[in-house]
Amino acid sequence: MINLEIIPFMIVSLIMIVSSILVVKAKDVVHCAFACVVSMLSVAGFYVLLNAQFMAVVQILVYVGGIGVMILFAVMLTGRGQGVE
Amino acid sequence: MVIYDDIMYWLVLIFAESHPYSDWIRGILGGLVIGAVFGGALVMVYLERKFLGDIQSRIGPNRVGGRYGVLQLIADAIKLFTKEDIIPANADKWLFIGAPIVALTSGFLMVAVLPFDYLLINGSYYAVNVTRMDISILYLEAVSGLAVFAIFMAGWGSGSKYSMLGGFRNIAKMIGYEIPLGVSIISVAIMAQSLDIVEIVEAQDFLWNIMIHPLAFIVFGICLVADVGRIPFDQTESEEEIIAGWATEYSGMRWGLAFFAEYLHAVVGSFMVALIFLGGWNGLPIVGNLYIPGIFWLIIKTIMVIMFFIWTRGALPRYRIDQVVDLGWKCLLPLSLLCLVWSTIIGLVFG
Repeated sequence: MINLEIIPFMIVSLIMIVSSILVVKAKDVVHCAFACVVSMLSVAGFYVLLNAQFMAVVQILVYVGGIGVMILFAVMLTGRGQGVE
Repeated sequence: MVIYDDIMYWLVLIFAESHPYSDWIRGILGGLVIGAVFGGALVMVYLERKFLGDIQSRIGPNRVGGRYGVLQLIADAIKLFTKEDIIPANADKWLFIGAPIVALTSGFLMVAVLPFDYLLINGSYYAVNVTRMDISILYLEAVSGLAVFAIFMAGWGSGSKYSMLGGFRNIAKMIGYEIPLGVSIISVAIMAQSLDIVEIVEAQDFLWNIMIHPLAFIVFGICLVADVGRIPFDQTESEEEIIAGWATEYSGMRWGLAFFAEYLHAVVGSFMVALIFLGGWNGLPIVGNLYIPGIFWLIIKTIMVIMFFIWTRGALPRYRIDQVVDLGWKCLLPLSLLCLVWSTIIGLVFG
């Protein structure tokens, strides 16, 4: 009998690995920023799986709502197409 | 109201932790609540069209479904569903498709912690909600922040100048407004000494928070209007300047879903105002419940807040984008810090 918690854990890990690879590998810098946001959100998923709801919510509040928006703000100020070549 | 009590008694017996199927039935209730709030958003769209018509001396929808046009929305939805699904050639496909999904996800996640009533059964209290969380108010704040990404995705992904301007304006606006929103919520949480919405409402059974703490109500209300992007603060889609802002390139059901997500956000925001500041399911202050079930009080208050939103849309002009950012940083942020001081004083004196 395997522990059923392994299923959501594997889903969240898969999302996190794929999005983290995308952060480095994506062609468009905006895609990188959004992949970064998704990977931060999946960290919140890990916290929920560890029964640390407060940490999960603070992770969303600070990393996704604060730092993610700051990253997008920076991207928006640098202009489109940079880093594509 | 015997029937209401019976239904609630039955529901709560199921929700009590000991019941073997409580998880499943909670899930079903979650679906029902999402459906109910979905319906609430539909009602809000209809009310908005009707009352805006009244405010502007028009009739509003009056053809489909009798004199009052109650079926107009269904006709509109059918029209949107049958329209061609266009993705612009210049668009960033993934962001363009993902934006309405993220917007709706944010709205539905917010619904999960809204409490609707609080019942005394067999000597213990049970809150009628999908998920009882002891940090529900932080959760609401965190999840509502995801909607910013949806609008930025739509703005950037559309590949058009107007959409991009809308998305940029949204980010510039929201950075200024999330902070006072959060601080005014936290100041209320300090007074109730809890981050749980259920306990915050419970603390208002004698006096509502709007009476003890009117400043936080004003700050929260203004920030909420900016958060859901309604008219004094809807620079992200101001039609005289940037066509429709981030929604310019959307058509058909994608447009419908994106706008529906906005209305969902507005309905959940109205619920938040009613719960946090207007006493939630408590009846009138001092007088009490007057034998009306709490859920009806909550719905009446929510509808009043929604009507207020509609009224501001009909009555107020739109701010310029730099004025909005100024208002957020130079006016609302200091006021919200003042709220924090005031609630700390109240907490020290009466807490």
